[in-house]
Amino acid sequence: MADVVTRRRRPAGVLLSARTPALRGLGIIAILLVLSFLIFSLVYLAPGDIVKNLLGPKNTSPEAIAAVRAQYHLDDPFLVQYWNWLSRAVTGDFGTSTRNQESVSAVIGGRAGTTLALCGLSFVLAVGTAIPLGILSATRSGGRLDRTISAWSVVGLSAPAFAVSLLLLYAFSFYLPLFPGFGGGDSPLDSLYHLVLPALALAIGLGAILVKLTRTALLRELNSDYVVFARARGLSPRRVTRIALRNASIPIVTGAGLTLSYLVGGTILVETTFALPGLGTLLQSSVLFKDVAVVQALALLVAVLIAVIALLTDLSYALLDPRVRLAGNR
Amino acid sequence: MSILNSPQKPRRTARSVALAATVLASTLVLAACSSVAPASVTKTAGPDTGKEIDAITVALPGSLSNLYPGQEAGILNYYLASAVQEGLVSVDASGKVQPALAESWVQPDPASYVFTLRADARFQDGTPVTVDDVIYSIRQAQDATVSPSISYAFAGVTGLEKTATNQLTITLAAPDAAFLRNLSTAGALFVSSKAFLEAHAGTVGTKGGLILGTGPYKVASFSPDTGVELERVDTWWGGTPKIKTIHVSFIPDEDTRLLAAKSGTTDLSFNVPLAQSGQWEGLDTQRVQYVNDLSYVGLNFDTTLAPFDDVHVRRAISESIDRDTIVSTLLKGHGRVATAIPTPESLGESYNVADATALLAALPQNTFDLDAAKAELAKSAHPDGFTAEILYPNTGPQLGNAAQSLAENLKKIGITLTVTEVPIEQWLASIGDGVHGLGFTWYFSTTGDPGEVTNYLLGAGNSSHYSNPAIVDLLAQAQAATDASKRIDLLLQANTLQSADVVDAPLWWGQSATSFATDLGITDYSSFAFTSPWPSLLYSAGEVK
Repeated sequence: MADVVTRRRRPAGVLLSARTPALRGLGIIAILLVLSFLIFSLVYLAPGDIVKNLLGPKNTSPEAIAAVRAQYHLDDPFLVQYWNWLSRAVTGDFGTSTRNQESVSAVIGGRAGTTLALCGLSFVLAVGTAIPLGILSATRSGGRLDRTISAWSVVGLSAPAFAVSLLLLYAFSFYLPLFPGFGGGDSPLDSLYHLVLPALALAIGLGAILVKLTRTALLRELNSDYVVFARARGLSPRRVTRIALRNASIPIVTGAGLTLSYLVGGTILVETTFALPGLGTLLQSSVLFKDVAVVQALALLVAVLIAVIALLTDLSYALLDPRVRLAGNR
Repeated sequence: MSILNSPQKPRRTARSVALAATVLASTLVLAACSSVAPASVTKTAGPDTGKEIDAITVALPGSLSNLYPGQEAGILNYYLASAVQEGLVSVDASGKVQPALAESWVQPDPASYVFTLRADARFQDGTPVTVDDVIYSIRQAQDATVSPSISYAFAGVTGLEKTATNQLTITLAAPDAAFLRNLSTAGALFVSSKAFLEAHAGTVGTKGGLILGTGPYKVASFSPDTGVELERVDTWWGGTPKIKTIHVSFIPDEDTRLLAAKSGTTDLSFNVPLAQSGQWEGLDTQRVQYVNDLSYVGLNFDTTLAPFDDVHVRRAISESIDRDTIVSTLLKGHGRVATAIPTPESLGESYNVADATALLAALPQNTFDLDAAKAELAKSAHPDGFTAEILYPNTGPQLGNAAQSLAENLKKIGITLTVTEVPIEQWLASIGDGVHGLGFTWYFSTTGDPGEVTNYLLGAGNSSHYSNPAIVDLLAQAQAATDASKRIDLLLQANTLQSADVVDAPLWWGQSATSFATDLGITDYSSFAFTSPWPSLLYSAGEVK
């Protein structure tokens, strides 16, 4: 988003020069470092006690408590604990999950596929339906179709994901048993089949935002002088829309990129309702258990994902807007 | 009266101790039923058709991240491990200790046990069970870093010795009447083979390591937070169960579970939420069965924190609890008013449920009486009342309702009580933290040991920071007692003393609801059923006549 502003203020060439990805990369590393410290502190300070989570609430002996505290180095000063984590993390060793007793990479690796597929599928669903609907809505602005689409997108925007999930479960798993109601599936194809309803549940909220964004962006272009001029020249309405759409694409892509980042957080509720073994529920249970190694790795993974999405969004401007590309070549 | 109406083949059950807190993700349902019948049913199961069942799907109301109860000891972990592993002993439906991997045992002196292993016990990989396997399993369980959640149970073990080819002698530092039950899967012993444990050191219970035991089912696969696949084996000494494959799915959301049962996708659902039980009972495809689950709910005071360090304050609060209304209205009758800390079922070694209920009801009570509560508060150092907060875990909404009911009554005597819901992990951390003077005790005993909860609440290191030499002495005598009735008598004396001091005000004894598909029956359904090899109790039920 910030880059849209940058692009307008500075010569566009700065945005896409060869240095940019490198600078961006350094920026991301700095942010990850700060973020890792913040998250580590927050988990450290959050209520709860990992020793009690492990030992259970029984009246355990001081020896058992001491053994567990020593095992997880809980008696080290806070900064030492953070340093121990950081010095291993930079070598790619994110440690072992206290809750699962497996390596963090195995724990995350086992679930990342589900969440990525879920996000990807719902993103495709949302983009595939919302953008055409937004265009229809904008080109028929004020008409009945526009009002209907707008009204439904308000409903989609306001409906909480868990309620939509439940509604979909009732409709398409129970009354009309087309899709499975829970679980992740066994084979890749089966998994995709299991992901249809959850992806739809996520896509409804996302799509509603995208419809609104597309409509607003396209309407603004359609009301521009160049569109009036093009129409006056006798260009077909289809051609005019295409020109306007191309100019409206940058805010739409930026919006889509932002909503994709938002998806990552939105998976928790949907994963819980559909009993999907994904990263959302893993993050939730790890935070509650104070399984700091998993929380750290997940938070950083999400941060990297968001940074990559933002970078890809920025790079896509060059494809969409020849002025950006040309400026880069100057 | 007897819990076991129709004794079936030899049953084993486990005994154990698990805290309600360990229920973590599961929604514990407490339901009450008559003090006579141990379990209540809304519909009856049809007769056993004797048919084989190819597969069933079981819904667990939460996720498991590790299958070894030494690493993760929620009640759901106990259910799962009990289908796969066994202890030296088991606990039967009436709460009595029975043989399991040990065919017999003797106590040459109160602090030592000599177990003789069954000759026909084999692990699921076909290898026979040896004394060395049992010793190694116990050593692993003793180690707090390997088995953090069960090591407490073996803290008193000083000697583990192979005294003959099939004989194991366990020596304790001091006699402990509660120890034997710890050697069951309801307690803390899950016997595995030494070779397996060594080969999978550090990964036991994980997706890669799984668990190995001697029970009727082996774990075919495990996906953390997704489910477990159990397959029947022919190595179990107890026979061959009817069901070939059991798919266990973790479905944390209660509405999703209800829909899955409604559509017939799942055949067995554990811990149906109490607030939802009416909807479950209305399903054509399901039959809901309730059972007293050995859980105890009480109001716990930190006796060192003001204003709860004043016995008049504690008694005033205890007398403000309308237990009858809580049980009949908020729990919809699925629970019983607790008249003491031990549940009637936990006195099963010496008393039937009816006699135990009467015995516990005869102990001194702080009954609901707001006038008396007001008078009691007037005698305290805080006659004009005060403000306090109580936390309850998100997995126990019934505790929240009870707290709201208490808050209403306390308002009438001048005490303002704020009720706050927190995640169960946070609630656990608040127990005995020296900050929260008033809290809930929510203890889910799996072992059914009569002294378990009393020891937890009044013994060394208790969360109330309470010490009464007379009680300490009674508990020590009870621990050393060799006669079960004598032990119960001593424990009840300790309960009488605590009742006068109001350390933990009993609220209710809970019930659990389980939903079965109408064509799935269960024999010997009791408080101990699911911590025994429960799949062997299931059968294919015919039409109800």
